[in-house]
Amino acid sequence: MTANKRIKQGVMYAILILLSIYTLFPIYFLIVNSFKSQKEIVGSPISVPSSFDFSYLKNAAAQIRLGESVVNTLIITVVAVALIVVISSLTAWMMVRNKTKASSFLFLCFTAAMLIPFQSVMYPLVNLMEALGLKNTFGLILMYGGFGLSMTVFLYHGFFKSVPLSLEEAAVIDGANIFQLFFNVVFPLVKPITATVVITNAMWIWNDYLLPFLIIGNNDSKTLTLSLYYAKSLSGQYGNPWELIFPAVLICVIPILIVFIFLQKNIIEGIAAGAVKG
Amino acid sequence: MEKYYKKWFKILNIPAAILFVVVILVPFIMGMAYSFTAWRGSYFKGSEHWYGALVGFKNYIKVFHSQKFITSFIYTIKFTIVAVVAKNIVSLGMALMVRKVGKGKGFFRTVFFFPNLLGGLAMGFIWSFIFQNVYSLMLFGEDSPIHIPFLCDMLQDPNKAVFAMAIMATWQTAGYLMLIYLNGLNNIPEDLYEAASIDGATAWQKFRHITVPMLMPAFTIVFFLTLSSSFKMLDENLALTGGDFGTRMLSLQILLTTRENTPPNYGMAQAQAVIFFILIAVVSIVQVIVTKRKEIEA
Repeated sequence: MTANKRIKQGVMYAILILLSIYTLFPIYFLIVNSFKSQKEIVGSPISVPSSFDFSYLKNAAAQIRLGESVVNTLIITVVAVALIVVISSLTAWMMVRNKTKASSFLFLCFTAAMLIPFQSVMYPLVNLMEALGLKNTFGLILMYGGFGLSMTVFLYHGFFKSVPLSLEEAAVIDGANIFQLFFNVVFPLVKPITATVVITNAMWIWNDYLLPFLIIGNNDSKTLTLSLYYAKSLSGQYGNPWELIFPAVLICVIPILIVFIFLQKNIIEGIAAGAVKG
Repeated sequence: MEKYYKKWFKILNIPAAILFVVVILVPFIMGMAYSFTAWRGSYFKGSEHWYGALVGFKNYIKVFHSQKFITSFIYTIKFTIVAVVAKNIVSLGMALMVRKVGKGKGFFRTVFFFPNLLGGLAMGFIWSFIFQNVYSLMLFGEDSPIHIPFLCDMLQDPNKAVFAMAIMATWQTAGYLMLIYLNGLNNIPEDLYEAASIDGATAWQKFRHITVPMLMPAFTIVFFLTLSSSFKMLDENLALTGGDFGTRMLSLQILLTTRENTPPNYGMAQAQAVIFFILIAVVSIVQVIVTKRKEIEA
């Protein structure tokens, strides 16, 4: 029995380690090829670079206007995520605390909207935003706010149900106003789901291609992913410029890598918390 | 307290309601209406207003006669089937193994989850190089020790490209789905397995009659996520094949329709967008009803 069990464990470890290598391989591959010339990338794509030449990274950073793109993406992501968190949590809280028909109808609307794919509203949306003078970064933030609502309200709604009402009553009797009540008493109790909400929304907004493509296009104030797209498509008429693409992708990935290394525990736990209730 | 909450209900819901109406509801209704018009993007053909340019079902008839739409529709379904099966088998398999190993659980969870954070477009560029150069030339090419023709030049053949895109999509999402399955597995009480062991159940019987029924809530979530994300996939499609060689999926088809006609036919693109919505809504609702029913039975 024990020998049998040991073999089983050994086989499972072997498979999982192989899968881990397979999972990390594209990342390794991305890193080593960011320091090679076009010739070296095509000639020996898997090997460690013969010399760590940073000129390709520098060139890629210039091509995608790194500083500007990072600042734009950061502003859009942070503001949009903050907007989504505050607005959706307030709405979900009010919906849980008011058991009226209006409240259930509103919840139904938000849940049903999860079924609407972005592609089916994007053209009229761009039209509308143009008419409202919002075809810019500010409009982009509002749109992310709108599209993040449904899923986020749904997640918060599930969590607020477990917050005890007596706690809130006590705070109100102690003289807390509605915002003190919410931000000092209720909101801290749903931290796990806030972590989930922040991660999933930030991930999606940071990496999004389609919405910035439609709203900003090939103008100034591009996001990181959009800059990458244009850097590739504009220089790729004569085959793929890999010595530009690899370092440019690496630059887009590095911020995520850093955040993940520092917050990996919170991220994994946050995602797991959302998975239970979702 | 009830009165207190009631007083604030309207005020605190206003911001969310405004965003919802402006970003989703109004464009959604506009989209429905515009799909019946000769919409050209910046103007309506022959009229100042949309209601002056109504063309009935003409856009929809055109869509159903469009070879490009039909091809991308069938292609999307093919991809969705392959991707949903692959993602589920891989993520469930990983969850079952990660749960059983003694040490290193945290390590495997972290590693498998990581690709999920990376952008589909950015990593798609890298994967296109992996498929072209590493798979085709180094690992499975004619001169390599294991020659597998199916894994060579996957992006130039529509049937192989389905699997290439599924390989990349599985690589991206399996770790996230695994976390959902792991959660489900951890919620199964251990004494169920002990009781089954005493009754002499085999490993397969335990899996079939305890694990699967108890995992139904997790299946509901994972199926919902994989079905809709596979059906809607755009970034990976764009980065890997660009929709060339008959590999265009519906999202890309809707995006490219307005670029392929002059003047741009937004009316026809919007008709496809409405069909796209109906497909996703129907498939998702049916799937949730079916798996929820299984949950109750279990």
